[in-house]
Amino acid sequence: MLPNTLGLLFFFGIPVLVAFYTSFQEWNAIQPPVFVGAANFERLVRDDAFWNALKNTVVLAVMSVPVGMALSLSVALLLNQRLPARNLLRTAYFLPVVTSIVAASIVWTWIFQPRYGLLGNLLAPLGLRDVNWLTRPDLILYPVAVVTIWLRLGFDMVLFLAGLQAIPRELYEAALIDGANRFQRFWHVTWPLLSPTTLLVMVLSIISAFQIFDQVYVMTSRTVRGGVGGSATTLALFLYMRAFTNSEFGYASAVALVLFLIILGITVFQLIVQRRWVFYQSEGE
Amino acid sequence: MSRTARSIALLTVLVSLLVLAIPAQAQEMEEEAIAPAPCAEPGTLTMWVWDEAWAEIIGNAIEDWKANYCPGAEVNLEVQPWGQYWDLLKTNAASGDLPDVFNMSQTNVFFYLDNGALMNLQPYWDEYGVDTTIWGTGLVDPYRWGEDNDLYAGPVNWDTIAVYYNKDMFDAAGLEYPTADWTWDDFAAAAEALTTDTIYGAAVYLEYQAGYPNWIAATGTTPIIEAGRTACTLTEPGSVEALSFLKGLLDAGYMPTPSIMGGASADDAFNFWASEQVAMITGGSWKLTDALNNVAFNWDVVQLPRHPETGRSRSILHAVGYVASARTAQPDLAANLILYLVSDAGQTFFAEGGNVAPANPSPALQQMWIDAFGDTNVNIQTFVDATVDSQGVTVFDEIWDRINSELVLNIFDLGVSVEEETQAACEFIAPYVVAEE
Repeated sequence: MLPNTLGLLFFFGIPVLVAFYTSFQEWNAIQPPVFVGAANFERLVRDDAFWNALKNTVVLAVMSVPVGMALSLSVALLLNQRLPARNLLRTAYFLPVVTSIVAASIVWTWIFQPRYGLLGNLLAPLGLRDVNWLTRPDLILYPVAVVTIWLRLGFDMVLFLAGLQAIPRELYEAALIDGANRFQRFWHVTWPLLSPTTLLVMVLSIISAFQIFDQVYVMTSRTVRGGVGGSATTLALFLYMRAFTNSEFGYASAVALVLFLIILGITVFQLIVQRRWVFYQSEGE
Repeated sequence: MSRTARSIALLTVLVSLLVLAIPAQAQEMEEEAIAPAPCAEPGTLTMWVWDEAWAEIIGNAIEDWKANYCPGAEVNLEVQPWGQYWDLLKTNAASGDLPDVFNMSQTNVFFYLDNGALMNLQPYWDEYGVDTTIWGTGLVDPYRWGEDNDLYAGPVNWDTIAVYYNKDMFDAAGLEYPTADWTWDDFAAAAEALTTDTIYGAAVYLEYQAGYPNWIAATGTTPIIEAGRTACTLTEPGSVEALSFLKGLLDAGYMPTPSIMGGASADDAFNFWASEQVAMITGGSWKLTDALNNVAFNWDVVQLPRHPETGRSRSILHAVGYVASARTAQPDLAANLILYLVSDAGQTFFAEGGNVAPANPSPALQQMWIDAFGDTNVNIQTFVDATVDSQGVTVFDEIWDRINSELVLNIFDLGVSVEEETQAACEFIAPYVVAEE
């Protein structure tokens, strides 16, 4: 217990406190920090680039979380059946989780490359061979969302699989005896009993979506970091660039603090609302 | 004395003077441009570089320094890969723990100079009797700072830009190989003739060093921003002319968009060229080793084409520097090591290693660098010639992405007009422009 607590204190607690302290300073990493009160937060409210990054982050969350959850649940349901080579398929779907995000993002960058990329050639019959997916501000979030879903699918699938396997068999048998068809068994047995897992996947997916950094950084590193005109800049990338490109560590810390509060707020909201739709098995007994 | 006799006597005197002068000149040539000096007191230094190949060369040089100029000294040489070098440097600066000596680039030095993080090496140059004007202005000007233009870095190398071209494609198109006196018009004509259904004629507009700023410089305009950050120059006629010329080649279908090349960096263009999808690219001298080792077709390099009116072929010049932390506990030792690394002795290791052209202007070292490539059939001298009319560029962190890639993508990928984009870029740069005193 003590080593864990100390580890948490050193590697999480202290940095969070330092970030909190730094968010009230103007500090470029070399000159001594200067206390500026709430100036960094006032600036943040007026900063169009911050709101743009927040908008991109929310859009990415909206694009990737529901689709990602639906896909991972579908794959989990499929791989929960007695299929040939089921374990191999489970491993294959899980592989992206243990793949380097950087390496995967580079490969996806090639896939989205116009003219020579795999996607362009697949879409060539539709006249879409030369689409600049990674530079057009109106398109760039789609590739990022696709890669985000692909990277996360295996992890969510494993959570759903664990949830599915925890549902007692006798409930399905009872439903079968009652004459429930496949959809009714899913809707009245699987879905309610899987709801705690669904909540967990949703909370983790949204937290993860609000922290998207690596794939955007890599997929735009050969063009413009964060996309042309900041079109793919997420909050995490925004604060990184403020810190390490513009040397505004105080301002970046303020952004980090706001990002933390946003994630905390959304998570608390989800945990409050869950009472209305999450069904715990013990409640039903 | 007759007129003939007087002429003979005069000629004899002149010839004698000339004969006497030649050995003196030769002796001057043989003298070291920069001589190392023994250190006063040995100690231990930390040093950071970002390149593995450089680390090996610098490591060998340091061994020589320790053996012959500073016995008892130790240097902990660490390679921090390029991808994380600048973030780590800033993080270490934040914790007051910069390495004693480290590599610095012209594009990043402003922040460290502006914040007093670097040691002023000028007193040491003076003490060691180094005439810092022997380095071309493009090499060292970005490393000068303060009212007296003190030099805060010792330049490691020089890089210039030239056109890499595929000779096989020229042969297939029935074109003569380009020569150093070719013009923009010749370049455009070649790009047109070389373009086929599967091959682009040229790709040249990428990023600040190997890309469009070279073309702006040829018009006589300072690329992007005046030295001293006094004015954005992208809206000046020369800048608009150069970018419009390149846009014209794109619109005519002779050049690929950055997206088609897979990115907007010089490496993307080089890979596109190496995979025989484009006939001509602009590339740096640092790519010579890569090209010699990995390119399968016949190729050569030629100086950038000349502007049709100014007649100038101008290359962007860049130099990496050695700098010392302002907070180093051993300033004398750090300066002594830097002196050695930029001296003739220290730079011999770079010259012999090929790949990196030594900043030290000694003709012997420059020839050693060319010879290190062996018998290549490639006109490596082109890159040395390009230093003659070269141009340094002022860039810094805050405007880097905007001018290095966003401007390129907007014009050459997304169809924004040159006038509109240069205006927008200058508006972006405006807050960073300082009033001229």
